[in-house]
Amino acid sequence: MTNDFMLLMPLIITGVGAIALMLIAAYDKVTIEQASMASMGVFGLAFLVQLSNTIGTAVVPYDTVFNGMLVISNFTKVAGLIILACGFFTSMSAHSYFKQNNFCTTEFYSLVAFSACGMLLLTMSQELISVFISLEIMSLAIYILVGYDRQNKRAAEAVMKYLMLGAFAGAFLTMGTALVYGGVGSTKFALIGQAVAANGFFTNPALVCGAFFILVAFLFKVAAFPFHAWVIDVYDGAAAPVTGYMATGLKTAVFAVFANFLVVDETMRAGWVNYLFYLSILTMFVGNLIAIGQTSLKRMLAASGIVHTGYLLIALVAVSSEHFSGSVILYYLGAYSVGTLGIFAALSYLGGANEKRQTFDDFKGLARVRPYSAAAIAIFLLSMAGIPPTAGFMGKLYIITSAISAGQVALAVFGIISSILSMWYYLRLIINMYFHEAVEGFEDTADFKFAPACTFILVVCVFAISLYPIAV
Amino acid sequence: MFADGLFILFTVFAVVGAAGLVLFKHPMNGAMSFVVTLIALAGLYALLNAKLIFAIQLIVYAGAIMSLIIFIIMFLNIQEEDLPAEEGRFKYLIGGVIVVAPVGMLLTKAVNSLPGSEATIAGAGFGGVKEVGVKLFTEWLLPFEIVSILLLVSLVGAVVLAGKRGTNK
Repeated sequence: MTNDFMLLMPLIITGVGAIALMLIAAYDKVTIEQASMASMGVFGLAFLVQLSNTIGTAVVPYDTVFNGMLVISNFTKVAGLIILACGFFTSMSAHSYFKQNNFCTTEFYSLVAFSACGMLLLTMSQELISVFISLEIMSLAIYILVGYDRQNKRAAEAVMKYLMLGAFAGAFLTMGTALVYGGVGSTKFALIGQAVAANGFFTNPALVCGAFFILVAFLFKVAAFPFHAWVIDVYDGAAAPVTGYMATGLKTAVFAVFANFLVVDETMRAGWVNYLFYLSILTMFVGNLIAIGQTSLKRMLAASGIVHTGYLLIALVAVSSEHFSGSVILYYLGAYSVGTLGIFAALSYLGGANEKRQTFDDFKGLARVRPYSAAAIAIFLLSMAGIPPTAGFMGKLYIITSAISAGQVALAVFGIISSILSMWYYLRLIINMYFHEAVEGFEDTADFKFAPACTFILVVCVFAISLYPIAV
Repeated sequence: MFADGLFILFTVFAVVGAAGLVLFKHPMNGAMSFVVTLIALAGLYALLNAKLIFAIQLIVYAGAIMSLIIFIIMFLNIQEEDLPAEEGRFKYLIGGVIVVAPVGMLLTKAVNSLPGSEATIAGAGFGGVKEVGVKLFTEWLLPFEIVSILLLVSLVGAVVLAGKRGTNK
C-alpha cells in the first residue's frame, strides 16, 4: 500500500524548508553559516524520506484533488534523489564559498530550496500547464541566484542574457501548450497519448507544431544545439556553487520531464527520433569544439556540459515507450552530477577571494601544494571523460549499449568519437595540475571544512555509483 | 456577421499595436502602442464570451500593469538623444523575418487545422466568474496552488535583487 502523503513528503519538506528559510532570513541573529546548515538539513531530510519511499508501479497521488496532474514513479523518485543531493552538496560548497566572497545573504539558501521545489514538481508533472509553472519556479529562482552578486558586471550580464532567452523559451512552451490543447483538447500527458494512439500524430498539424515548440523550449533549457550559445556566458558569470547547481539539478529536472513527454506515445517519439539523432551528434561536436578553445575553467566546464547534453540526447533517442524505465538517463545524470558538483565544490574553495583563479594556468602545480584536492579534481575529470572504473565510464557504457540495442549504431560510434575528443580538455587540466611546478602556494584555501568534505564525499560517490548495477 | 466585422477590427488593432511596439523607437510610443494591443485582445476575449478574462485583461493588464510601465518610463525621462543609434535595424528586421518565416508557415498550417466556431467545447455559462472559479478550484487546483510558490519566489527575488542590502553577517 502506498501513502500519497508520504510520496509527496520530499516536495513538502523542501517547500516548507524554503519558506522557513525565507522567514528566518528576516532575523539579524541568523548568520549565513546557520542558514547554510539549515538548508543542508532540509535537503538531507527530504533525501532520506525520498529514499525510504518504495514505489511499485506509477502512482497518481490524490487523483481526484489534483486531477491526475502529478504522477510518481521510480523514475521520478530517482530523479528527485539526484535533485535533492544536488541541493545538499550545493549548500555545502556554498558554505565555504561565501567565506571568501562577500555577497551572500540568508535568502540565498531559501532560493536554492525554492528552485529544488520547482525541479521536483517538474519531474512529477504530467500536465503541460503544471510543467510550465514548475519550470518557471525553477528558472526564476535560478535567475536570481545567477545575478546574486550585484557588484559583479559579468553576473549582471549573465542574468540579463539568461532572463531574456529564458523568457523566450517560456513563451515557446506556452505557445506549444496552447496548440497542443487546440489539437487534442487536453493538456494532460495521458490524454494526449490516448488522442495520438486513436488519431495518429502526423495527421494533426496543431499537435505536431505544439509538440515542436515544447521540444524547442526543453532543448533550450538543456542547452542543446542550436540553443546552446547562452550557456557559456551564464555559467561563467554565476558563482561557482550556483553554476554547479544549474549544471546538474536543472539538467536532471528538464531531462526527466523531456523523457516523460517523449514517451507519451510511441508514434510521437518515433516522429522526433530522427531530428534528435542529428541534434545529439551536433550537440556533442559543437560542445567539444567550444570546450577545446576555452582557457577559463568554468567556461570549459560549461561547454563540456553541452557535450554531456549530447550524450543524454543519445539516451533519449534510445528509450522506448513500451517499457520505459529511464534508468540509463538517470544513471548518466547521476554520474554526471557527481562529477560536476565535485569540481564546482573544489572550485568553491580553491577559487580564492572573488574567484580570482579562473584559468587553466592558475591551477598549475596544484598537486604539489594540495595533493588531495588535486587528486579529487583529477578523479572527477576522469569520470567526466569516461575512464574506468569511475561512474562516468559506466554511464557512457550504458548509454552506448542502449543505443546499440536500439539499433542506433551510428550514434554509438559518434558518442565514442566525441568521448575521445573530450579527453583533450579534461586531461589538459590534469596535466596542468600534475606536470608543472607550483607557481603559488594556495595558502588562502587552507581553512575550510565543508567544501573539502563535500569534495571527498563526492569522490566516494564516483566509485560507489560505478558499482551500482542497473538493468538496461 | 457583425461579430465577424468586430473580430477583424480587433485583430487588425492587435497586430498593428504589436508591430508598433517593435518598430517605435521611443519606449513611450512603444508602450502606448502596446496598450492598443491589450485592449484589442480584451475585445477578442469579449467576443469569445469570456467575461472574467475580459474584465481582468482590462483592469489588470491594460490598467494596472501598463500604467505602471508608463509611469516608470516617464520617471526615467528618456529624451531623443538618450536612445541608441540602431543603425541598420531594417536589415536585421528583414533577416529576422526570413529566419522566422518557416516557423510562421508551420504556425499558419497548425492554426488552420484547429477546430473553428462549429466545434462546441464550452458548456453553458462559459467564461463567467462562477464557472471559471468552479473549474479552477476543482480540476485545476494543482496549478493554482503552485503558482503561489512562483509568486513567492518572485517576491523574494525582487527583495534580493533590488532591495537595500544590509551588512554581511
